[in-house]
Amino acid sequence: MVDVLSPLKPVWKPGTHGNTTSGVGVVLTETQPGSIVQVAAWPGQEKKLIAAIKTVTRLALPDGAGGGVASDSKAAFGIAPGKFLIVDQNEGFAAILSGIMTADIGTVTDLSHGRTALRISGPKAEWVLSKFFAIDFSLPAFPVGSGISSVHHDVFAQIQRSGADQFDLYIFRSFARSFWMALGHASEEVGYEVS
Amino acid sequence: MSPRRIDTGGRRVDRDRGIRFTFDGKPYSGHPGDTLASALLANGVTLFGRSFKYHRPRGVLTAGVDEPNALVTVLKGNIREPNIPATQLEIYDGLTVVSQNRFPSLSFDIGAANQLGGKLLGAGFYYKTFMGPVVGPLKGTRFWMFCEYFIRRAAGLGRAGYDKDSARYERTNAFCDVLVVGSGPAGLMAAKAAAQSGKRVILAELEPRFGGSANWSSETIDGMPAADWAQATIAELRERKNVRLLPRTTVWGYYDDNMLAALERVSDHKRDAAKGEPRHRYWSIRPGAVVLATGAFERPLVFPGNDRPGVMLAGAAERYAAEFGVLPGRKIAVFANNDGAYGTALALKKSGAEIVAIVDVRRQVSEAAHAAALSTGGEFLAGHAVVATEGGTKLSGVKVQIFDAATGALSGDPRSIDADCLIVSGGWSPVIHLASQAGVSPQWDDDRQAFLPPKPTQNWIGAGAFNGSFSTAAALSEGDAAGRQAAGETDGPAEELPNVDAPALQSNPAPVFEIRTSGKAFVDYQHDVTAEDVRLAHREGFVSVEHLKRYTTLGMATDQGKTSNVPGLAIMAEALGKPIPDVGTTRFRAPFAPVSIGSLAAERYGDLKPERLTPMHDWHIEHGATMYSAGLWYRPMIYGHSGETIEQAYVREAKAVREKAGIVDVSTLGKIAVQGPDAAEFLDRVYTNMFSTLAVGKARYGLMLREDGFVMDDGTTWRLGENDFLMTTTTANAGKVMQHLEYFLDVVWPDLKVHLTSVTDQWAGAAIGGPKAREILAACVTGTAVDNEAMPFMGIVHGEIAGVAVMICRLSFSGEMAFEVYCGAGHGTHVWKALLEAGKPFGLVPYGLEALGTLRIEKGHVTGAEIDGRTTGRDLHLDWMLSKKKPFIGSAMMDREGMTAEDRLQLVGIVSLDNRPLNGGGHIVEQANPEDPANSLGHITAACYSPALGKFIGLALVKGGKSRHGKRAFTSDPLRNRFGPVEIVSHHFFDPEGKRMHG
Amino acid sequence: MLITCPYCGPRDVSEYTYQGDGNRARPDAGSTDNQAWNSYVYDRLNIAGEHHEIWQHSGGCRAHLAVSRNTLTHKVSAVAFARDAGHRKSDRHRKSGGAA
Repeated sequence: MVDVLSPLKPVWKPGTHGNTTSGVGVVLTETQPGSIVQVAAWPGQEKKLIAAIKTVTRLALPDGAGGGVASDSKAAFGIAPGKFLIVDQNEGFAAILSGIMTADIGTVTDLSHGRTALRISGPKAEWVLSKFFAIDFSLPAFPVGSGISSVHHDVFAQIQRSGADQFDLYIFRSFARSFWMALGHASEEVGYEVS
Repeated sequence: MSPRRIDTGGRRVDRDRGIRFTFDGKPYSGHPGDTLASALLANGVTLFGRSFKYHRPRGVLTAGVDEPNALVTVLKGNIREPNIPATQLEIYDGLTVVSQNRFPSLSFDIGAANQLGGKLLGAGFYYKTFMGPVVGPLKGTRFWMFCEYFIRRAAGLGRAGYDKDSARYERTNAFCDVLVVGSGPAGLMAAKAAAQSGKRVILAELEPRFGGSANWSSETIDGMPAADWAQATIAELRERKNVRLLPRTTVWGYYDDNMLAALERVSDHKRDAAKGEPRHRYWSIRPGAVVLATGAFERPLVFPGNDRPGVMLAGAAERYAAEFGVLPGRKIAVFANNDGAYGTALALKKSGAEIVAIVDVRRQVSEAAHAAALSTGGEFLAGHAVVATEGGTKLSGVKVQIFDAATGALSGDPRSIDADCLIVSGGWSPVIHLASQAGVSPQWDDDRQAFLPPKPTQNWIGAGAFNGSFSTAAALSEGDAAGRQAAGETDGPAEELPNVDAPALQSNPAPVFEIRTSGKAFVDYQHDVTAEDVRLAHREGFVSVEHLKRYTTLGMATDQGKTSNVPGLAIMAEALGKPIPDVGTTRFRAPFAPVSIGSLAAERYGDLKPERLTPMHDWHIEHGATMYSAGLWYRPMIYGHSGETIEQAYVREAKAVREKAGIVDVSTLGKIAVQGPDAAEFLDRVYTNMFSTLAVGKARYGLMLREDGFVMDDGTTWRLGENDFLMTTTTANAGKVMQHLEYFLDVVWPDLKVHLTSVTDQWAGAAIGGPKAREILAACVTGTAVDNEAMPFMGIVHGEIAGVAVMICRLSFSGEMAFEVYCGAGHGTHVWKALLEAGKPFGLVPYGLEALGTLRIEKGHVTGAEIDGRTTGRDLHLDWMLSKKKPFIGSAMMDREGMTAEDRLQLVGIVSLDNRPLNGGGHIVEQANPEDPANSLGHITAACYSPALGKFIGLALVKGGKSRHGKRAFTSDPLRNRFGPVEIVSHHFFDPEGKRMHG
Repeated sequence: MLITCPYCGPRDVSEYTYQGDGNRARPDAGSTDNQAWNSYVYDRLNIAGEHHEIWQHSGGCRAHLAVSRNTLTHKVSAVAFARDAGHRKSDRHRKSGGAA
């Protein structure tokens, strides 16, 4: 198996950075899941699609826009009407999903190489993300598991809250390095750790 | 030495610690908490700057954001920050400040001679003087251009620097239930009430210290000094998790849907910002409801000499004494049209000043005011006015005369009173700027002689002095009510309101704005607009307040007329013989106070500008590529060898492709997954040619038009499965095409079952072309044959290279036998390296965009330079792609008269006949005449040196197109001084039959 | 300005792209009625008041939305997915060209 090359390689600097006088505000990392797959239902087929996702992933997606669930090895969340992002630590998940997706339900699109998964966690995660997106990141407005699609200038992002103070960002691969550097820049004032 | 530090007051400053700073090179000391204004006053400095037009000496008028006079320039290294009000500038160790608009020095200024020419420099001076003579060398605007240099040096405010601002700026977004703007008694109560309901609250205060007027008031709240009550309240708020306190934060804009913009000055008050700490932070705040508790600005009175250093607003004087422990003078005279200033006089006396006189325009004052006047011990001059100030750059006395407030008439002989400070109060104007931005025009109130806020059109609630409720008791109760209402609470107050002990002094003023007598009386201090200028504007016919403003520039300086708008309007109203509300007021616009451009540009600037990098980016850099920026993408231009020019490099690379093989990174091409049972039908509708007939495992070149029939984009689309297509677009148009397709699916054909996904970043793409390309693939691809049978032209195969799954399509942009190899982006560099390794024995070279451009020009392939939004399929000789069997986007409009006309610009090739390079953008003409470059036949879209032909060639869009093949013409490029003969030829320069790519 | 996307909720206008007058009705694909095509491609209503517009939530779920917006106050009174709003009939649309 040939390794997937991280787009962050030359700018990946493990350790603590910025102003850490009052501790580490956020931890930044690249989660490098094996599979990032978009599944999309035709109008009216959403329920069947959610059932199919459950069959394969055992993740029970809640109803409603942006609804999602996250476990240690898998995650799924709504990104657009009838569209979901499915993330799995193992490679080849697109093929598994394609196997159960019939043409009358919807489509499967493999984005494993096309999106870079960045994780920001820690007490200042909401604060740092607020510098990028005009989104209310507070817990009541953005509960654990749920997802949103937003944009920071030209950088499109799909974001899932995977913990009380943890967010996973799926960024177009070509923008990942730029965005990573901007993320580090914005985290400097609260101190950050790359791991 | 008039002003000085006193032993009383000064809660804001830390007397135990000293701070050293310089002003105009001279060292001074102050304390933490001091502003530049308070620190300089404490050092006895009263002269802060020179005025805009007349270079008059100016001191400090106010103690806050409304300051029109005391503007200074802060130097940080080589960075100059001009026009900072000294009243807002917090001092720190090493602060370096210089005064503005003076030459050679502040105390001796040559430009002050401008005062002598005062009559000449009145309103409209520039318009009138610089129209210029009708004839002669300086006719029209030339006279202005001649004088401009001198005027620009003499007039104006601070000078900006030339060095790049190295400070860091940020922006952020905030959401809350209640935003409270202003933290005086009203704002504090509102924040407290809203916070107690559990709602998310943001409290923004433009000063470093919360508490507003409570910080300098001599009143008591709940039995304690108002300032103590304020600090206790803020301490309580600070403990709450649902409250965010934003000091040094000016809310400057109120926009649609309750969106507010604020500027937080995060580290201006520090010598060095902490690591990662921005200088300014721009807050975009979206609250559910807003409480506007922005207070009121005191107004000056307009009288001759009202700008002399030593003249100060009454409230400001009280504030300097109470907050900073600085007395602005020893012998203080008071001039007022309301009771408010009497309280100030008492407070200043208590602080140790001598009140020499209280001059009031009113003959009758309230009993409370009368009693206060007597207890100050100063001479009480009711029914009098100040008619002049005495002294040079420092006040030494005032002249007073008997005044009739009803008629404005002066009588009796003027007499002098010695004073080193004159405090003035002309009434108070509620700070309604944000409300006015968010809504309609304000309402005039006769009692207060002021504009009150309009009815809300957005979700805000006003409280306190903002509403014209100037007493502290009213501020507390209105603040509490506003806070509860904003939080959605409907019950009455949870607890009793604090008690206030305050003198019974009313600040409602007499309707007197100006003392009219000889001498310059300033309305707008910062722009040097006098009362006479306003009347001159009226005499010259500028009767609308909007015109008045523009003609005199009243209220258009950096302070936006905070102290001058109402007096200016009142003087205009008097000139017009109309009541003030009939003259109207100009609406307030954002920003409320100056905003740094850096904070608005923030993360979009410099290194933080987003870039798009291909999967092989680092390899390109390591291998000596010179990079181009193409939109946000970075792409190799050439892989130059040492000593090579750009031209030598691309010629070498292009030659290698034609002779052996070359490889180019094409990962930037837009790629869209078009999936679903109706995908083929959808493509038939959006492309001019058929895609439903395309076999699985084959690709086809497609052309897309806009609805108006012009060409939009081109590219190949690959059929990977029955319902699964991979569309490629040009790099530049990827986003536009995606949006175009999404629009049609959502809005026009929602019944089609098609999903579109951007997969540009999913795939790394390498195009390998040249006579040896197939052999190179054969050497490294496993799992599939790559011969003609397995991979005919436009055929797609799946295989592996170095253990990685790849998808290969045989298609050619270079005109050679060529293949595009796609693999997962994360494997891009791995596959790229494997291809180069396999190609080594065959002479494979990497090539950049310059060589790519050369190869495509030789082949006559079009790109964005020809698909410029004005060309049709026929113009580009792509008529063969316009299907007649089906309608498609653009088919109905593409045959319109103008789009099929004979004289349209059409694609041709051109060859330089003088063996010199051609320039893109150069024109094609029939007769070369450098003196009269006219009658363009068209223009060159792309040009290069063609190694295959050994000539300088280009593509051009030329009238008549094909009919000119073989004819001679000229290129005319006056901008680059390039004129010369060319031959017009077919755009297919090289291998027109395509033998090489079909091989 | 905020637009409430039926999927994503209220979002800042900077996440959206204006995609044109929502009152236009596209002629049948095979139509040869030049007048109708001309009107569809070039004519735009320029309403001072309640207007029907198409916006794309390009910085979000990417859906096209049919938005009713008052051009004088920027108040958005209704938002629906454009695909659900269906084709707007041309009754609000001027049949002929020319400036108004």
